[in-house]
Amino acid sequence: MKSSGTLLIAFALAAASPAVAADTIKVGLSGPFTGGSSSMGVSMRDGVKLAVGEINKTGGVLGKQLELVERDDQADNTLGVQIAQELINKEQVAATLGYINTGVALASQRFYQDAEIPVINNVATGTAIEQQFPAPNYIFRTAANDTIQSAMIVEEAITRRGFKKPAIMADSTNYGQLGREDLEKALGGKGVKPVAVEKFNIKDTDMTAQLLRAKEAGADVILTYGIGPELAQIANGQAKLGWKVPLIGSWTLSMSSFIDNAGPNGEGAMMPQTFIQLPDTPKRKAFIESYQKAYNIERMPSPVSAAQGYDSVYLLAAAIKQANSTDGKKIREALENLNTKVEGVVTVYDHPYTKDDHEAFTRNIPVFGIVKNGRVTIAHEEDIAGEKAVRVKMKN
Amino acid sequence: MQVLAQLLVSGIAVGMIYGVIAFGYQLTFATSKTLNFGQGEALMLGALVGLTLAGHIGFWFMLPLVLIFGLMQGAAVEWLAVRQAIKTKTDSGWIMATIALGIIFKNLAENIWGRDDLRFPSPLPEAPISVAGVNVLPMEVLVVFGALGLMLAIEIFNRRSIFGKAVVATSNDRDAAGLMGINTGLVITFSYALSSMTAAFAGVLVAPVTLTGATMGSVLGLKAFAVAIIGGLSSGLGAVVGGLILGIAETTTGYYISTGYKDVPGLVLLLLVLTFKPAGLFGKAAIKKV
Repeated sequence: MKSSGTLLIAFALAAASPAVAADTIKVGLSGPFTGGSSSMGVSMRDGVKLAVGEINKTGGVLGKQLELVERDDQADNTLGVQIAQELINKEQVAATLGYINTGVALASQRFYQDAEIPVINNVATGTAIEQQFPAPNYIFRTAANDTIQSAMIVEEAITRRGFKKPAIMADSTNYGQLGREDLEKALGGKGVKPVAVEKFNIKDTDMTAQLLRAKEAGADVILTYGIGPELAQIANGQAKLGWKVPLIGSWTLSMSSFIDNAGPNGEGAMMPQTFIQLPDTPKRKAFIESYQKAYNIERMPSPVSAAQGYDSVYLLAAAIKQANSTDGKKIREALENLNTKVEGVVTVYDHPYTKDDHEAFTRNIPVFGIVKNGRVTIAHEEDIAGEKAVRVKMKN
Repeated sequence: MQVLAQLLVSGIAVGMIYGVIAFGYQLTFATSKTLNFGQGEALMLGALVGLTLAGHIGFWFMLPLVLIFGLMQGAAVEWLAVRQAIKTKTDSGWIMATIALGIIFKNLAENIWGRDDLRFPSPLPEAPISVAGVNVLPMEVLVVFGALGLMLAIEIFNRRSIFGKAVVATSNDRDAAGLMGINTGLVITFSYALSSMTAAFAGVLVAPVTLTGATMGSVLGLKAFAVAIIGGLSSGLGAVVGGLILGIAETTTGYYISTGYKDVPGLVLLLLVLTFKPAGLFGKAAIKKV
């Protein structure tokens, strides 16, 4: 099931300090397990649990078992803050994994920063998340941020597919509007001005006005920044108007709430993906199979979240082992100078972080996914052909 | 011209949804001068119950069952939240009680159907009908005519049947109706049942067009309340016209001004109506005798 590398780490860990085996290392987990973004939250949690289970089965870390302390933040900023305080002060976790929602991450992680406990954001994509604190920064990420994604979206739409008149549709939340800014900036870099920039609210059901404006402006592609249900309404609205131009947008176009609610209207939508449910390496095959077996499902609700969650656990485990301690400061230093290569499912992490760079992913890691027959698959086969199957972080 | 026509058609489809929910507000207000602030939740419950039933017996057979469910749900709301307040003649008890019940219904739905939006299979073809370049979904046509039909049926019932006359009598003067031997308590219960029935019906009609989930009712219920104020709480016609005004205002503002300001004209209109014609565009001005 597992690569020899991780097994080796695990055995080494098991041998390291058997004396305190009764003890556990507490790891916090915060994400929305109910509500509109729960498909991402639950997949992330399941990916994390899978990795924790594997590590514990082979002896844990530093001879101790990892113990997850899961909390449902319901994508609510206030609740996220309360959970952060509980995990830090009451549960005294060694580190916390999670955050799906940029707003919750921004509100909560200052408490970890003050308490000097590392956080690995494994799903939230807001660019600001890694820029909130100067070094020593306790916030890390295993996700493709919005700057990377918007650049990819523009590259795909303008350069690769040759569209000339993009329309932007973004929801009115922080996520949508920050993403819209990033998109406009990236378009500007190519000397393209969007022909229409439209806004919609969460729970909006009629997109006629937005779509007609884009249509009358002569748009030949729609670039989106929103979440599943409203994105589905855009696709459904397009079908209603009989106006079919491609949808290219942020990775949320892979949410099951988009794919299921848009049905045939969502076919062909494209989005950046760090991980696609495609067994193209032995490691990924094993991961997908054990996920399917553990949770008894065929289609992973959010493969990206599951994979990034899974990888974040192995990064943390490697750092705790290298630090030989559960002290937050030592774990941060270990993460910033990780000497072991960690083979994850998204990529192979070779010194993923430095003191000033807490982003594990660079522009070359995500590829474009496309909705086909109700599932996300690879858009351009050549992107993952041969040795490109595993894309590793670019070094400056 | 074609764009304007398209905007109008979409505005009418959305507006009719607001209208039919607002009509439900008007039903209970007429008889008891109270409202069910959980109207949006009644719509949501109707849609979700309909979704579950449609999976077993199909869309069309599900409709009458959902109507019955709506009747019972409305009667339950009246019994639990409103009756006591009317009996003790408190002014505001029913407001808190119906809001609280709405929240309970929402939580209940979240526990039964989950918190994700679900897809409601459309009973009609999902391909749009195109008339002179204006596209409309068959389901939207059904929403408009279904809503109109239901409102018409209730109006006819109120005007023609003996029980309907009791409803009208209670609306006109509850105390006098009571003295004439009309069981006004029963009439009020009935009006709540009818009100939730229209909401449940609206729920299953709109569900294939919008998405279905525990939170689908909150925004619709609120907008319909604005519609009821604009149109006048004592007028069924006001609910329809108010709904159309708001629906069309939303789509046309979104197109001609900016989609960011879509909700503004409706709210401005609400303020104007409250300032210059507080009883609503079609409402009868209340004369307060002292």
